[in-house]
Amino acid sequence: MQRILNLACGSFYALGAYTGVSAVTWALGHGLPAPLFLLVLVASGLALAVIGPPVERLLRAVYDRDESFQLLLTFALVLMFEDVMRFVWGTAPVQLGNAYLVYGRLAVAGSTVPVYNLVVIAAGGLVALGMGGLLTHTRFGRIVRATAENREMSAALGVDLRRVYARVFTLGVALGTVGGALVIPATAAVNEMAIDVVVEAFAVVVIGGLGSMRGAFVGSLIVGVLKAGAIATWPEVEMLAIYVVVIGVLVLRPAGLFAGAAP
Amino acid sequence: MTLLEAVEVRKFYGTFCALDGVTLTIGRGQFVSIVGPNGAGKTTLVNVLTGLLAPTSGAVRFKGRDVAGLDPVRLARLGLARSFQLVHVFPGLTVAETLAVAVLARRRRGARLFASLAAERATWDEAAGVAELFGLADQLGRPARTLPQGDKKLLDVASAFALHPEVILLDEPTSGVSTADKHAVMAVLVEAARRLGIASIIQVEHDMDIVFGYSDRIVALHQGRVLADATPAELQANDEVMATIVGRAARRA
Amino acid sequence: MIRRGLALAAAALLALAPLLAPPYQVTLLLPAFAYGIALLGLNLLFGTAGLLSFGHALFVALGAYTAAGLTTRYGVLSFEAIVAAAAGLAAVVAVPVGLLCVRYVKIYFGMLTLAFGMLFYSFLYKFYALTGGDEGLRVLRPLLLGRPFAELDKVGFLTGPFYYYALALLALATLAMRRIVRSPFGLSLRAIRENADKAAFVGVSVRRYRFYAFVIAAVFGAVGGTLLAVPTGLADPLLAYWTHSGNLVFMLLLGGFEHFLGPLVGALAFIFLQDLVMSLTAYWRFVFGALLAIVVVFFPRGLLGLVAPERPA
Repeated sequence: MQRILNLACGSFYALGAYTGVSAVTWALGHGLPAPLFLLVLVASGLALAVIGPPVERLLRAVYDRDESFQLLLTFALVLMFEDVMRFVWGTAPVQLGNAYLVYGRLAVAGSTVPVYNLVVIAAGGLVALGMGGLLTHTRFGRIVRATAENREMSAALGVDLRRVYARVFTLGVALGTVGGALVIPATAAVNEMAIDVVVEAFAVVVIGGLGSMRGAFVGSLIVGVLKAGAIATWPEVEMLAIYVVVIGVLVLRPAGLFAGAAP
Repeated sequence: MTLLEAVEVRKFYGTFCALDGVTLTIGRGQFVSIVGPNGAGKTTLVNVLTGLLAPTSGAVRFKGRDVAGLDPVRLARLGLARSFQLVHVFPGLTVAETLAVAVLARRRRGARLFASLAAERATWDEAAGVAELFGLADQLGRPARTLPQGDKKLLDVASAFALHPEVILLDEPTSGVSTADKHAVMAVLVEAARRLGIASIIQVEHDMDIVFGYSDRIVALHQGRVLADATPAELQANDEVMATIVGRAARRA
Repeated sequence: MIRRGLALAAAALLALAPLLAPPYQVTLLLPAFAYGIALLGLNLLFGTAGLLSFGHALFVALGAYTAAGLTTRYGVLSFEAIVAAAAGLAAVVAVPVGLLCVRYVKIYFGMLTLAFGMLFYSFLYKFYALTGGDEGLRVLRPLLLGRPFAELDKVGFLTGPFYYYALALLALATLAMRRIVRSPFGLSLRAIRENADKAAFVGVSVRRYRFYAFVIAAVFGAVGGTLLAVPTGLADPLLAYWTHSGNLVFMLLLGGFEHFLGPLVGALAFIFLQDLVMSLTAYWRFVFGALLAIVVVFFPRGLLGLVAPERPA
């Protein structure tokens, strides 16, 4: 929406994951009933969104500059967050163990799937729907879309761009941290997850077209399926697969499926 | 002899028809002005004539070759150049460097990796020569971004002229130039074209004083169609066209 | 003239460094020279052509792995042969990668180069038999101009013959790049950076020139990579990791991308700052992130921008 490529969004995701692990471990240690851990994850993710406004304030310094500088400033944030995570959680992968199995497993199409995974999928769908609703049906959403379309015009119409940007950014941070927190029961939190997410997210956005919500949703499905397919057919190359998919997407569909935004 | 021709060109943007069957030939040695009210399709026509937009149907040929889909570099090599309505300059390059880029490209020396730029005597001399024609000779060392608006416009046009095209299309060459200076600019353009051996000039222009003063032919567009294609004298005798197309603009001038 | 005098004085100082400075400081200069060469290439892309690569480390790693592979696997110890092979290999890799990348600009170019860099990283990491996986590959001491310098210990070799070899290579690379930047090609690239649409309309083949710049940058990156690998004696996958690319860009910005010598100043400044900060705290990335943020926001023209505010022609 803001046409800012944020390399640090992956760091928010990773930060959400680490915090999620710590929060749940702490809560379970204090006698929290295991099934409630999901709420703790979401709450810790939302709480982390407080870093949104200050970061946005910093980025504001380069809104009017060349994209290269925006990219570099977010890279600076990546470096800083990386050491923050190193400082707090160390370099070894951090994970939650089997807590996510409290919801049981379900047999789907001949294989067993932890219910938790389904919960996450459902949550993803809900968030997508919620965002769609927010953008199309609320005043705030209309302002955001108008601003994305034409910032000069909305400014002229009296929209306070700073506030819009600050809120959109914080919302983005919150989605990132909650997202990171939600995947954590299923995987371990590691430092490298940050960049994988950035690159994947970029592919998603490119497939969907910049600034298109429906596109982003379809894009994420496509990337997910492609990645799963690549891993299933050639498991050794899991890490490679993401990048092959991203390169393929960039090369074949630079303008996105749903938008006319040319590169 | 025909240099550039458009045959039954139609251009749709979605369902909106910007050009509706435009046929036009431009011969060697002609100065042609394209006029018409806003939205008549003038800029679309220029963009189609220079290959920037592909026509929805019909054809555009330059020296017998189809220009649709030809990139600007190929067109420049074939001998067709253009300038834009909005000023395009290289902000950080000096006047001499800007013109040298065009001269080097024309002489196919732009890719020389290890040649010394400073030793390109002929290139710099030629760039200085073009600058001289456009009255920019004493600005050679100035970065384009520091030039006054009028000089930026001249530099933009001059760099297209430096390609020595056979046909040059100018989209509002005097827009942004004060009325008092318009004639001076046109005099410079015409003289430069003569000196550089440019055979034909096509311009989009609003100022009827300029249009009637310099054109050999005037093409009047209205709602995507050619309403008139005639000499200034013929057009002035045609009250109907003058009233419907040129009337408003003429009063404004 | 003053500028040229300063540059010559700095070169003379570097030439005398092994006699004046303690060996540790001298060995710190080696990676700075290596990065200097790689950054000259990166700056042809960014400073001259206006394309920000976040995957330049790919070529640095390629150079380092070429040195490692040739010395340990194939017994090729001649450093001249290694440099030539690395340059050739980089060009071969850069052709397909460049053809794809230069179709895009700005963030698309940045992300695509980043993705290619990470692809190479994953390849280095996963294909253990070929690349040694996460342990990397050792780099043996090469022959310089055919001589082994067997009488010298490691430090003696690095601060003696290898130091001067690296310095000479840096000087050569600098002169070659200077020539390229001041050629008709260099001017055409600057025109593309300033306004690519306009450049096309005055007959500049925008994509083709960007592609040439990409390949040249790759060659410089790989040559820098060979020099980088010798002092550490190791080529490891992290050389291709995206943060390494980011650090390269950081160095460039620190030095000042608008200046021809910015890459060299940036490499020197980065290496010595890194050494200083790492000696004070294990969390040097945090300090550097903050520093980068300050540079980006307040001093986007880098160190040379502070002393020489005018953009040189």
